[in-house]
This record gives sequence, C-alpha cells and structure tokens, in this order.
Amino acid sequence: MDVRIFQFNGCNKCFNETILLNGESKYKIEFIEDPKNWKEMKTDVSVITGYLLPEDKDTLEKIKSNSKRVVGYGNCTTMGGIFALANQRGYEVSPLSSFIEETEKVNGCLGEIEELSVAINSEAAPKLQNLCAVCARETTCDYLESVHRQIELEDETTCFNDLGYLCNGFVAKECKERCIDYNAPCRGCKPIIDRSGIRMLGMFGTLMGNIEVATEHSELGATDKLADRDDDITDSLPDVLGNFFRFTLSTSGLPRGRIPSSGNILNDVFTGRLIEELPLISGLLGGNRSISLTLKIIETYETANSIEVSEQTKKYRKELLDLESQLQEAIKSKDPKQYKKITDEIRKIGGNMNLSNVYFGGFKAQIDDKDNFEDYKAHVFDVVEGTYKNGSVEFTIDPIGIVKEIKIKEG
Amino acid sequence: MSCEDIEPEVMEKIQDIVVFMCNECGQGSANTAGVARMAYNPAIRIVRVQCTGQVGPIQIMDALNNGADAVACVGCCLGACHFFNGNILSMHRIKLLKKVFKELGYSDQFVNQYTSRAAEGETAVGDFEDLVIRLSNAIREEGTIKDGC
Ligand code: SF4
Ligand code: SF4
Ligand code: SF4
Repeated sequence: MDVRIFQFNGCNKCFNETILLNGESKYKIEFIEDPKNWKEMKTDVSVITGYLLPEDKDTLEKIKSNSKRVVGYGNCTTMGGIFALANQRGYEVSPLSSFIEETEKVNGCLGEIEELSVAINSEAAPKLQNLCAVCARETTCDYLESVHRQIELEDETTCFNDLGYLCNGFVAKECKERCIDYNAPCRGCKPIIDRSGIRMLGMFGTLMGNIEVATEHSELGATDKLADRDDDITDSLPDVLGNFFRFTLSTSGLPRGRIPSSGNILNDVFTGRLIEELPLISGLLGGNRSISLTLKIIETYETANSIEVSEQTKKYRKELLDLESQLQEAIKSKDPKQYKKITDEIRKIGGNMNLSNVYFGGFKAQIDDKDNFEDYKAHVFDVVEGTYKNGSVEFTIDPIGIVKEIKIKEG
Repeated sequence: MSCEDIEPEVMEKIQDIVVFMCNECGQGSANTAGVARMAYNPAIRIVRVQCTGQVGPIQIMDALNNGADAVACVGCCLGACHFFNGNILSMHRIKLLKKVFKELGYSDQFVNQYTSRAAEGETAVGDFEDLVIRLSNAIREEGTIKDGC
C-alpha cells in the first residue's frame, strides 16, 4: 500500500511520530515535507499532519484528487489544534474538513500512532470510553467553593475538578498520553463529543455554583441582572479560551477573534495564556525542539525568581535534553527502532511526549520507584509580574500571570 | 436613556434578541405585562423554557450562530428559583461566556441574564428595555456580533 505523509505548517511532532510506521513491510511510505512543491502522483492513502491555513487549499485539493483516501492525523490537522488559539488574534487556522470532503481523522495532540494504523488500514476503530472511566481519581461533582490555578500534589484520589482545578476529562476519550497520570489536568485533546469546549464551559460553570457572582439592580423596573464588573467567577479563570478551547477553537462555533495580532502565529498562540500553563503548551507544539523550548521557558522563570531546583531535577532535565538531541538523529535517519527507543525514554522522564511531568521547580510525578520523590517534587509557585529573558525566549507577564508579550526565536 | 433615544441606524441592527424565559417568574411576568397591555421592543423573541438552568452555552451559541443579535435568559429572583438554583447556575455560565466574548475581542453584552417577578409585568418589560439599551451601546462602540461570525 502506498502511503504518503505530508507535513504542513507548525509543529512536526505528529509527522515525526509516523516514522514508527516506516519499518512495516505492508506500507510503501514516502515522507513529504514540502507539500506545495510535491510532484503529483497517485497514492492509496495520504496522511496530512500540521496545521492548515486558507492558502493551503490548492495543495490539499491536489492531494485529495490523487489519493484514494485521505487521513488527517493530529489535532492541528483535524480540528485546528493548539495553533488555532491564534484565531483569537485573527488567524484563520482551519480543520482539514473545511478544505476537502470525506476525510478520516485521528484526533490527539500528539495523535496516537496505533489509531493512525487502524485508519490507514480501514479497520474498525476500537470503541473508547470516557477518560474519567479510566482515571484513578473519582468525582463527586459537588459545587465548588473556590477554583485553583495550581494545586499541591498531595491528594491522588479526588477528581481535579472537585479540587477546584479545571480538568477537561469529562469531555475526553481515554488516551495513550494520559496527562492526568502525571498530575497535569486533561485539556481535552481527544474529545468524546462534538463542541467539547463549550460543553465543558457549561459544566464547569455549573460546578462553580457556590462561587460569588456579581449582580446589580436594574434601574428600569427590572429586578437583578449580571453586573458588568469582574467577580470571583471571572477572576478564578483568567484565560477561559486557553483552558477550555486549547485544541478546539476553530471548530467550537465561536466567532473569530478580533484581538490585534503580533504578526507571528507562535507568539499569538502563547499570548493571553497563563504562566503556569506555558510548559503544558510548549511541550505540545514545540515539534522536535519541544524539550529545549519547555525547559528554556521554565528555567528562565526559575532563575529570575530564585526558585530552587534540586540536583536530581537538574539530572533528569539534562537527560531529557540529551534525549532530544539523540532524537534529532533518529528523525533524520527515519529509523523507527531508534525513534521508539528514544521516545520511550523521553516518556519515562517527561511522562509523555507532551512533557506533562515537566514543571517549574521539578517534576509532577515520581519518575523511578527507587527515587525519593521529595527530591524533585514540584510545588505551587508564586506568580511574579515582569519581563523574563534568556537567549531565544523573552516573555512578559502581568500581575495575574497572563502572558502579555512573548518572543520565541524559532529553530 | 430609553429605547426611544436609540438612533435608527443602530436600531436597524437590532432585529432579533432571543430571550429564554423560565416558565415560572420569567414567563409569568411577561404574561402579566401582556394582560396590562404593556408594550416592549418588537426585536424581543421569547423562548419559553422550564428553568433558565436548562439553558447553557450550547443553546446560546446556537441562537447566535443562527442569526440572533443577542441572547438573554430571564429567570426568577435570586433565591426564588422554583426548582433549586437554576437561575444562579445560569448566571455563572453566562458570566463565563461573557468572558469568552471579551477574550475574543467582542463586547460582553451579547449575552446577559436577568430576573423578574411574576406579579409585576414591569420587571419583564424593564429587563427588555435594559437589554436593548445595553445592546445598542455595545453595537455603537464595538460593532455587532455578526461582524465576526
Ligand atoms: S501540536 Fe500536537 S497535534 Fe499539532 S503536530 Fe504537534 S503534536 Fe501533533
Ligand atoms: S475530570 Fe479529570 S481528574 Fe476528574 S475523573 Fe475525569 S479525568 Fe479524572
Ligand atoms: S489526558 Fe492529555 S493526552 Fe489524554 S485526552 Fe487529555 S489532554 Fe489529551
């Protein structure tokens, strides 16, 4: 079977993941990194990865007319994914289905390679449960008294949402990367229902039932109405878009954003997000540089605010960086065995390929049973307003921790 | 300011305001207003629901995506929900949705929540008037929601 894999824009983690299919004798695989200049050729299955913009339409149509089947792989392609957060600032990152019809899709950030094989082979996809059904935590759905942006990692059995710590597991499918196992709440990269973001917003709003909402008296004979000022509801969630629509903004049915753009899509994705969420974003979209980008952001903030990190943390971080450079080699040679070996090791330390375990001050979950977790356990840290700069990254956060400006030198 | 003071070119942009009114005080006060022959803006389109607690961001976005210029919920007075606390939950969700609009660069006046009293028709009519005035201010300053949909 001829399989052609195309990398469009942005992060190439999903594209790289397809290296794992390279060894399988039933496929004849070709990797195409420059789809615009692709010489048209008939093919059985075309796999699309990366995010898509209106100017990609012609190329996608060309691919479609040459392929028996087209599969979108990864959230960037299937629903705009994390790059669609830039639509808040006027970009038009759009899902594959808005360009060409009749496509199959494999959601996920990172997309799961096992699911891609199933889609390529046209096999029936296994039925997956809701993420909460396989989560070690249990939920009561009691009303919350308060919402927290960071939590200490003591309690391992109560649902994050019950702890007032937003988790999109309610609207997600069971998954391979399992951020929730590394004390990182789910951001819903594999939705189990359509319009998952807006539904989760409704659900969390309901859970917030005991939190003070500001009302005011109307002067026109009416009784009460919502006040126009901020209150405990809005203050507890300073970035609703980034937390509820991290992957689904372009398919959510919300209008396109009108906030002025910085002119750079990567910067626009990060602007407006919260300092404590930055590693959870850079770990996703940094492509084959996600480890160094994530550690750079973290260490810049740690150094400036004298957040101490243990020797053990430094050791693990160094191992991750070494693994990243080894990974570059495996990617270059498209060697599936090497790629698997290295990514397995990254997962052991980082939790998953999204680096859910990597955080400010240490790690969120124990890496090795033999370790003393207290040596490198991450704790709640203070949000400090300021401009942080270290070589290729520079960002400014406001007093509540919202990124106001960010510059990331690519490459 | 009252509805009469709104300029015709702004009023032209206010054609459909979907108002979800609960079956108890919301609808009750609209009925009382009707019996007393109180007039209100013709752009108001009432949708009767059992409780505003039933209306969530999904229904609100459906209305906006299908042509509504604004959406509001009208429930019972605070503490007087005929079920338990549907009006409060609705308020919380609408507050979050308002924030979403702000984060996208829109006015937060396209969605609102009010209360009313079944025995007093002027509370419903007052809600409608307030709604139209706030929407007209938002349109004047930041354009309609349709500019982005
Ligand atoms: S951002 Fe996520 S979905 Fe997009 S290419 Fe990277 S890993 Fe895949
Ligand atoms: S919402 Fe999150 S923490 Fe809670 S049960 Fe579901 S997956 Fe687990
Ligand atoms: S736990 Fe993580 S990988 Fe799994 S669905 Fe949620 S965000 Fe995606």
